[in-house]
Amino acid sequence: MYFAGIDVGSLTAQAVVINAKGIVAYKSIGVKPHPVQSARAVVDMLVKEEGIDWSEIRFCVSTGYGREQVQAEGLSQDNVSEISCHGMGASWLVPEVRTVIDIGGQDAKVIRVGKGGELVDFVMNDKCAAGTGRFLEVQARTLGLSLDELGTVSFQAERALELSSRCSIFCETEVLHYLQRGHTKADIAAGVNRAMAERVAALVRRVGLEKEVTMSGGVAKNAAVRAELERMLNVRLIKYDTDSQIVGALGAALMARKMGGGS
Amino acid sequence: MRTLQSQSTDIYTDYVRDWKEKGGKVLGYACVATPVELIEAAGVLPYRIKAFGHPDTELGDAYLARFNCRFCRSCLQLGLDGTYDFLDGLIETNGCDHLRGMFENWQYVKKYEFFHYLKVPHFLREDSLEYFTEEIGLLRQALEERFGAQVTDERIRKAIDAYDEVFARLKRLYALREKVPPAVSGAEVMRLVCTGSSMMAGDFSALLDEVLAEKENAAPLPYKARLMILGSATDEVDLIEDIESTGALIAADALCYGSRSFWRREGESGDPARLLAERYLANLFCPRMFTEYEKRRDYILETAKRAGVDGAIVTYNKFCDLHGVESVSLRMDLEKAGVPVLVLEKDYGSKADTGRIKTRVQAFLERLGK
Repeated sequence: MYFAGIDVGSLTAQAVVINAKGIVAYKSIGVKPHPVQSARAVVDMLVKEEGIDWSEIRFCVSTGYGREQVQAEGLSQDNVSEISCHGMGASWLVPEVRTVIDIGGQDAKVIRVGKGGELVDFVMNDKCAAGTGRFLEVQARTLGLSLDELGTVSFQAERALELSSRCSIFCETEVLHYLQRGHTKADIAAGVNRAMAERVAALVRRVGLEKEVTMSGGVAKNAAVRAELERMLNVRLIKYDTDSQIVGALGAALMARKMGGGS
Repeated sequence: MRTLQSQSTDIYTDYVRDWKEKGGKVLGYACVATPVELIEAAGVLPYRIKAFGHPDTELGDAYLARFNCRFCRSCLQLGLDGTYDFLDGLIETNGCDHLRGMFENWQYVKKYEFFHYLKVPHFLREDSLEYFTEEIGLLRQALEERFGAQVTDERIRKAIDAYDEVFARLKRLYALREKVPPAVSGAEVMRLVCTGSSMMAGDFSALLDEVLAEKENAAPLPYKARLMILGSATDEVDLIEDIESTGALIAADALCYGSRSFWRREGESGDPARLLAERYLANLFCPRMFTEYEKRRDYILETAKRAGVDGAIVTYNKFCDLHGVESVSLRMDLEKAGVPVLVLEKDYGSKADTGRIKTRVQAFLERLGK
């Protein structure tokens, strides 16, 4: 008996299929112009590449920005906010987790969960891109680095440079200024990652930190941001083997299993 | 009700157009501390300035900074682009500095013949009541001079009585929303309060009678959770609709385009100017009244309890100094009283923010187990 979760975010879309034991298959793609297109594409890929028979899915829950449209199109039977889904997904991966830091393409959330992964409290960043994956993308592009390189190169830094602007656009100007002054990419990249971590740490303080802590979303793959956050918050961010970007879709699948009578 | 719903977010309503065509005068005000009874007693239509989710601010931005509240910038935009050209004057108050900036720049550009600055004290003491009574006297005098009407004690008392009729009906409407299950939604209530804020009291009472007759027999509304909304000045009916589209029913409010505009407008003085000072100053549930936090908190907690809400949304516009600061204490006090809180900082009228707002509200409902 299969259950599925579809998470259509602002930059990526994920689908996860589970059964009573755990994860059966998952896929992650870059988004299409419309959330429903993204959902169809990621489901098609899952069906083709992993040999999943979608008609065997007993219950499906959608989440992410496109969650309502995906349900309206009949691809899912219900929708749950990505905040609850990330909490649930992370809690399943790491049962002792109480705080989940989820940094996606366009927003950042700090989620406090209870013993069963239920939502206790949360805080979400405000409108601008400060403290989100988009911030890192903008600065990486200015530095001529890939997103992966932005993380790895900063470990070669002699000192992280100070980036004072909260705004991504103003920060880009600061990065350009440092480049033109001849500072190394490593020192600038370290400054970018530190600035990013500072924004997120401020968000964590707003909701209060309770151990244990994990990180999900695309930015969780940036080792430098993780290291800075661990230093600033004085915690160890628990790692898990699964792709950090599928945590929301996994949570949606777990919700589907609950709603569909699977557990 | 259906016609009202479709017209209630117009700035220049049919009612105001009709009033103007008959030769009536209209005075614009924005702050809930403005004694509308006095304006009505002068035979002038009091018009509470609204932006109705109008997000453009390009003209307003030439006079106000980006870090001024967008509600004020949006109102100024409509003032400068001609939308409010039907007004015959403005009444400014020191509600907050952003609001003052809005009024003074508006007057700087448009130069209305009638522009009055009503100074509202920041404290509730005997001497500030005396001061405000004098200020009300000055407004009364200015209205008489400009509009040629004798604002007699009798006319003021009559206007006070007419507004009391409105408040009694609004309280009945609020009771219909607070009951379980409710017969009226939060969005409908906000539309009505906004509509009435640009009508003469007697006409608004008649409209409310019609609505009440319809709503008292209406089918109950379905909902997942009962919420209260409180915070800074907003006339965003769309925002309430977005929140309610998630299954949350706004069962109560402490908004200044809501219950705070009328709930406890009471006083006991025999002198009408002094009575107005009491009715407004003593019942001003706004963070601009620096030393009155406990009273505001108690009012909010009492409202939450009466409406039996599952949680509260504390909302404020970006850069709203007064409500932004107060949201911290309010959140703590509401949670201490067992009312879970969602703090929703938002940009005024931003349609692009809808998804983000709905995500937060939906997650809040999930947090409440709804």
